[in-house]
Amino acid sequence: MNAVPAQPEELSQNQAQGYTVARSFWQKEAVLAYLFMVPGALILLIFMAYPFFYGLYISMTDRFVGIPGSHFIWFENYRYLLDDPVFRKVVRNTFVYSFVTVPFKLVLGLGLALVLNQQFRFSRFFRAGLLLPWIVPTAISTLAFLMLYNGTLSPISWAFRHLGLMNGNINFLGDPVNAIISICVANIWRGVPFFGISILAGLQAVPDDLHEAAALDGAGAWRRFWAVTWPVIRNIVLISTLFSIIWTFADFQLIYVLTKGGPANSTHVFGTYSYQTLGVTDLGTAASISLYMFPFLAVFAIILLFYVRRED
Amino acid sequence: MSDERAQRLIAEAKTLRYSRRTVLKRAAALGLSAPAIAGVLGATGHAAAAQSGTPAVNLGGSLNILQGTYFVPAAQDFFTKQAKDWGKQNGVDVTTDYINWPDLQPRTTSAVQAGSGPDIVEMWPGIPYLFADKLVDMTDLAEKWGQANGGYYDWVTKTASVNGQWKTMPHGTSSIAVIYRTDLFKAAGYDTFPETWEDFFKAGKALKAAGHPLGQALGQSLGDPPSFCYPYMWSYGAMEVEADGKTVAFNKPTFVDGMNTFIQAWKDAYDGTGLGWDDTGNNSAYLAGQISATLNGSSIYLSANDPTSKDSNPELAKNTNCVPLPKGPTGQFCNLGSRSMGLLSYSKNQDAAKAFLGWFFSIDNYKAWIEAYKGYIIPTGPTLATEPVYTSDPKLKAFIEVAKYGRNQGYAGPSNLKSAQAAANYVIVNTFANAVQNGDAKSAIEQGARQLERYYGR
Repeated sequence: MNAVPAQPEELSQNQAQGYTVARSFWQKEAVLAYLFMVPGALILLIFMAYPFFYGLYISMTDRFVGIPGSHFIWFENYRYLLDDPVFRKVVRNTFVYSFVTVPFKLVLGLGLALVLNQQFRFSRFFRAGLLLPWIVPTAISTLAFLMLYNGTLSPISWAFRHLGLMNGNINFLGDPVNAIISICVANIWRGVPFFGISILAGLQAVPDDLHEAAALDGAGAWRRFWAVTWPVIRNIVLISTLFSIIWTFADFQLIYVLTKGGPANSTHVFGTYSYQTLGVTDLGTAASISLYMFPFLAVFAIILLFYVRRED
Repeated sequence: MSDERAQRLIAEAKTLRYSRRTVLKRAAALGLSAPAIAGVLGATGHAAAAQSGTPAVNLGGSLNILQGTYFVPAAQDFFTKQAKDWGKQNGVDVTTDYINWPDLQPRTTSAVQAGSGPDIVEMWPGIPYLFADKLVDMTDLAEKWGQANGGYYDWVTKTASVNGQWKTMPHGTSSIAVIYRTDLFKAAGYDTFPETWEDFFKAGKALKAAGHPLGQALGQSLGDPPSFCYPYMWSYGAMEVEADGKTVAFNKPTFVDGMNTFIQAWKDAYDGTGLGWDDTGNNSAYLAGQISATLNGSSIYLSANDPTSKDSNPELAKNTNCVPLPKGPTGQFCNLGSRSMGLLSYSKNQDAAKAFLGWFFSIDNYKAWIEAYKGYIIPTGPTLATEPVYTSDPKLKAFIEVAKYGRNQGYAGPSNLKSAQAAANYVIVNTFANAVQNGDAKSAIEQGARQLERYYGR
């Protein structure tokens, strides 16, 4: 026997109740928030979390590319690296490279931003030009530095010789200390525009009347900078600095093009040493080298997030 | 050789009454050239393809070949054309890519790990060991190629075969010799080139005083720096390991003495910026007239001697000569290992790749290739060593002569994963670089020995 069909009035009442429940469910802020987060979370899971944990797993194996079979060896690769004299140089170089270049980039970028914040002829042209080192692909601009640093044909050495300031050539990349300095100079040249543009954007937000009022009260340029300008750009400077440290810490291209980590492994950083190790298919050790960066970068990122949120 | 194979195929086709399609398949497998295939088709009663751009054989698909950049650009252009022409004749879309030498190995590693990428990859000496399980076996073709070349030099077998099997097709290597300025050496009192390292350094001291030092790359590069460091080590009685392939034999008193000699020579005779040079640093310094001698492949001389080259310098070429590396107390050596072409097992077009390799490794074709290379690449066996491309210019004879006393990296063991690790991490080269930087031969060699023990003992 067939069931008695529901009355249209009852159906519409049930439907209305269903819609109300559904609407109230979807209108809950928490539900919507999670819903909107799903695509981002999926992207993070697939492209960030999975490779990260897979890399972590590989770093705990003795896997070589192309050689079947590998064993889980826990932290053996990490322990092996601690005994590796080259790896100790890598850690030292990475810190030197990051913490020596960033103050220079900050000071030069700040100076550049203060100059470009003034109104003068072609100021817009120079502001746009400031970005050039930043937007040119690193590998290309580094090739120009490779030419400048050439052991025998460097135009810098040539100029010094012809000015009578020296007889031979400057050993830019053949001496460990000179090589690190040369790399740092190239990195500073490339990194200054980031600070310059970021700080310039902050400077544009400083009201002119505040400067005028401070000047009327007798404050000099130095005092006006610390009392009026600095409070406005302080957070921008801080965030830019942290970003720059993170990028410099994880740098690869510039050092690889200039020295490939030489001479005698004296300029390797995490990225280049990992790449060199991967060259002989030693996937486990190469992954361990890269992951040694993680705790340091995590600390920088936490500090960065702390300041970003505080500003919010 | 191509004719012999063609004749065999004709006989085979007539006996077994092959169809046109079967003849074409067999011809491709044998690596016959397009004219030879046309001849076979004609002789077996099958009409060859009309000359209308239609492929003689339609293998189909695409083929990507990855190699290190050629130091003789004309040869690179020649190979590209050869490969494309073969592709047209066989209905295969062939592409060729060339990358910097140090990037070839990591790129291969990435491709193997990802299971996709180039079908055929050029491999440095010893690298076939690393990817042995990911390469298509080439033993049949390699054995034929060996027979055609009067066998393989020992350094070819030790660097391109894997435990007696051929996983890649060895195609020879860029050879190394001392390239020097005869005019500057004469002016310094040397009418003939010094025979020993110590005499070479003495001459270098006089030449540096005259403003033209010796030049040697000691940077982190895979070509010129090891080409000096390994033979110098061997000629002073040291090696990476004993014949058992495990016992490190690097820290030898004779080698410490030799290293002390070199440290002094680096100050007295060499251009100190060599510590930062890669494989091109000495080329540019020599061609610019700044150094009096360097170790290199023939590319420096070939560029100077080539009227069409941007580095053409007939006067410099006239005053340049090339000789084998000097001797040390325990002998005269040269670091040699064969480069090879490997077909990766993930390739989706293995038939076409095999057909290409079969075609490329035919005597006629290979001869054309080494001629385009102007002798920069030396062959895998003695038969082709007498070709005019190696003997017609007396200045180039040194590059083929060194094949007689070549030794492989990893000697006295084979070139394998361990020696590749040591080479890729520049253990031997950086021992020399450390020694000249710190002036302490003993501690540099001890440090190098410890690193070798880490790799060979792991």
